[in-house]
This record gives sequence, C-alpha cells and structure tokens, in this order.
Amino acid sequence: MLPLILTATIAGALAGSLCGCTGVLCDRLGLRTVAFAVAHAALAGAALSFLVGVSSIVLGMIFALLTALILGPLADTFEIPIDMVSMTLFSLYNALTFIFLILSPGIVLAAEKVSQVLWGSVLAVTPDYLIILFTIAILYALFLVTLWHRIAPILFDKRLAEAEGINVRAYTYALIALTGLVVVLTLRITGGFLVFSLVYIPASSALQLSENMKRIVALSAILGLTSAIAGVYVSFLADLPVGSSIVICAAGILLIASIAGYFRRKSLIKFVS
Amino acid sequence: MAVKSETRGDLQSELAIKLVNVSTYYSGETKPAIRDISLEIRAGDLVLISGPNGAGKTTLLETILGLLKPKKGRILLLGHEIPKEASLVRKMCSYLPQDFMKPAGEPFSVKEVVAMGLSPIRPLGKLNSADWEAVYDALEILGVKDLAERPFGRLSGGQQQKVMLARALIRKPKVLFLDEPFSSLDRESRAYLSEEVLPELVKKGTTVLLVSHDVTFKPSDCSMIVHMKDGVIVKVEG
Repeated sequence: MLPLILTATIAGALAGSLCGCTGVLCDRLGLRTVAFAVAHAALAGAALSFLVGVSSIVLGMIFALLTALILGPLADTFEIPIDMVSMTLFSLYNALTFIFLILSPGIVLAAEKVSQVLWGSVLAVTPDYLIILFTIAILYALFLVTLWHRIAPILFDKRLAEAEGINVRAYTYALIALTGLVVVLTLRITGGFLVFSLVYIPASSALQLSENMKRIVALSAILGLTSAIAGVYVSFLADLPVGSSIVICAAGILLIASIAGYFRRKSLIKFVS
Repeated sequence: MAVKSETRGDLQSELAIKLVNVSTYYSGETKPAIRDISLEIRAGDLVLISGPNGAGKTTLLETILGLLKPKKGRILLLGHEIPKEASLVRKMCSYLPQDFMKPAGEPFSVKEVVAMGLSPIRPLGKLNSADWEAVYDALEILGVKDLAERPFGRLSGGQQQKVMLARALIRKPKVLFLDEPFSSLDRESRAYLSEEVLPELVKKGTTVLLVSHDVTFKPSDCSMIVHMKDGVIVKVEG
C-alpha cells in the first residue's frame, strides 16, 4: 500500500504542478481549448488500439502528440482561430472513439478499457511513468526559466512581440506541444474527463491571489501540486476515484482562493481611496 | 532611381523606407485595404500619416513592418526586403500600436512591460543592470518613473500609453512607428512629446512614422505629411 500511495503522490505532485503552469500559459495565449482536443485525441487513439490490437497507451499518446503538433500549423495555414480548430477536432475525436468502439471485437471489454482512459487510475502509475513525468517536469522548468524573457512579451501582447522581432509562431507551437505532452501524461492519473480541471482550476485560483505574472505561474503550479496530493490522499482515505478526488480538492482550493481574492481586492480599494 | 539598382548600403544611408506599388488585402476581402502605395521616406525624417478612420493608415504601418503581407508591390525597410527579412529588421524598429490598452487584471508590472522592449534584442532576452537603468530612465523621460512597480492594468489610459511609449523608446530604434500615440494623453503631455521628445529623436537620426486621424495636428520638425483616404495616398506635403 505504501509504495503505491507514495508513487501516486509523487506522480500527482509532478502532474499537478505541470498542469497548473500550463493552465496559466494556455489562458494567456488564448489556447484554452487545446487541452480538450489533445485529451480526446488520446481517447480516440485508445479506442482505435482495440480495433487494431496494439497498446492503448502508446496509440493514445501518438494521437495526442500528433494533435498537439498539428493544431498550431492547421490554425495558421487555414486562418481559423485555434479554438475553432480545437473544438472541431474534439468533436471529431469523440465521433471516432464511438465508431472505433462499435467496430471493436469484444465491444464491452474495449469500452471498459477506454473508460480507464476516461477516468484514469493510480494503478497506471509505474516507475517508468514516474521517470518520464520527472524528465518532462525538468525540461518544462528549463524551458520556462531559460526563455521566460522571450515568452513574457508574447504573454503580454502577441502582436507587439511579433512587431518587435520575437518569433511568436515558434514559441506558441512549442508551448502547444508542451501542453499536449503534459495533458497526455496527466491523463493516466485523472483521466480524459477530468484533466482539464487540473489544468484550469489551479490557474483560476492563482489569478485570484496575485497580480504578478511570475507569482501567478508559480502559485498555479503550487496549487496544482497541492490539489493533486490532497486528492490522492482523500482518494485513499475515503476509497474514492483519484481523478474525482483531485478535482474536488482543486475546486475547494478555488473556493477559498476566491473568497481570499474578494477580500484582498476590497482591502486594496479601501487602501487606495 | 529603380529600386533594383540600389544597393543595401545606399538605401541605409538615404532611404529608411521605400514602397513601390504596394497593395494589401485582408483575408477574405476583395477590396484592398491599401492600394498601389508608392512612397519614399528618408532616414531621419519625421513623417505624419494623416487621414480619416478607415483610410488605411494602420494597414500601411503594419504592412511596412511585415505584420500584414502585401498582395503585390515591393517594400524595403532599412534596405531589407519585407516581409522576407521582416524578423531581422523588426529588431531595429519600435512599434506603438493604437490598441495598447490592457484590462485591470493585467499582471505584468510597468517596469516589466518596458523591459520587454529590450528582450528581443538581448541574448535569450536577459537584461543586465545597465538595461534596468535604461528602463528607469525611459520611464523618467515619460514622467512615469514612480509607477514602475505597479501592475500595468491598474494604470489609466494615458499612463498606459506613456509606458508603451517608454517601451518603444528604450529600444533606440532606427525607425519608430507610432499609431495614434497621443490618443489618451492630456494636452500638456502631448505637447511635451511632440515638441521635445520626438524632435530630439529625429535629431539623433531616428526615422519617425506617426499616424494620426487628427488633420489639425502637426508635430514640430515634421518633414512630410502623407494624406490618405480610402486606402490610397491622396496628397503628399513636404
């Protein structure tokens, strides 16, 4: 029991902090729906795997990563807002998932396995998975720390950053790809239906608590980590699904942050007047 | 003189901007936003682009910067082909867009916003202590140094515009593109900028392209006024 809860806690902490960071960046870059498309691509990939008889995790990851890589170029080439492309792919992947399941031999078993992708499981947290998650967390942190001074102007104003000579397209594509990677990895714990909440709820909480961009990114990562760890423990103690427990903890933190934010803003107005 | 026969060196010493029969269309539009624009602007000139709303002034600026791709014609900015070499030449220019306003929740501080102007021209975007001094100096020139630590979104429209001007100036641009730069400023600030700050920049050799819909406005040391209407140049003075 102990190793399982320990690995689940570490995985939750890493995935939670990565998702928290990603949420703030996606929000600022207007990429809020990217996570939807990527998560449902993984679902379609997993469903297809039962039809063609390969690993659901591998095919799910391939689908999700390909989606993350093509989203930006698709939107730019056809001059369609990225949110429209994301939501179109999201619907398409839902349709494909259903078709692949219907066509699968042993449809009940396939549906049950796909539900693991939908809802996630701590049993999916293996040592290999932890190593991958840890490596991605390091690479993500390095990317942000090294290139923050180039990313910040894009987060402030994309058009102006481009006018000043920053390669906005390259950085945006890189951030979409990283978002895809983070979502794919987190899917295994929270599942496809709940991964968005770990991406966006900590970001919303952080925005309530600070007006400093660097602090918002750091706070969002910390709150994502806290939600994930708390969720894992609530899940073990109350014998509830991990993904759902994480989301309930994140929502609880958002409620507290919103109340604190309300009083902070009120005291700021009093101080100014 | 034919554009093709000019060398890059000649253009850099004489012309900052050259447009030959440039037309730009917005996506899905059949009518061009600017049509057959030909214009030569010498290095170190202060040029006012004037005209009513929808005349194509902003489109012209953004086409010169390569933010909008022209459907036809040729553009040279500091001797570089636009849009082909836009990313290179943009580092030598500054742009103050007309839609600069940010909402109250904008989490970047004033000094961070100004420092962002330097990040594209520094290795990995990192600023040294001299750069930070320059940030405070630029804020001082615009009279907003005391706001350096405040969140940008908490400033008034006029204060935000001054901060954005500080960001444009800190880059020490060879060409400065200003789109309605005084729209939110009071009369005193407007006079200080148009009669002191901009002429000082021009004296130092900066080429300034200033867009204004106010036909009565004319900054000091203005060497050329380009009047636009319905996407075409209707008159050039100077």
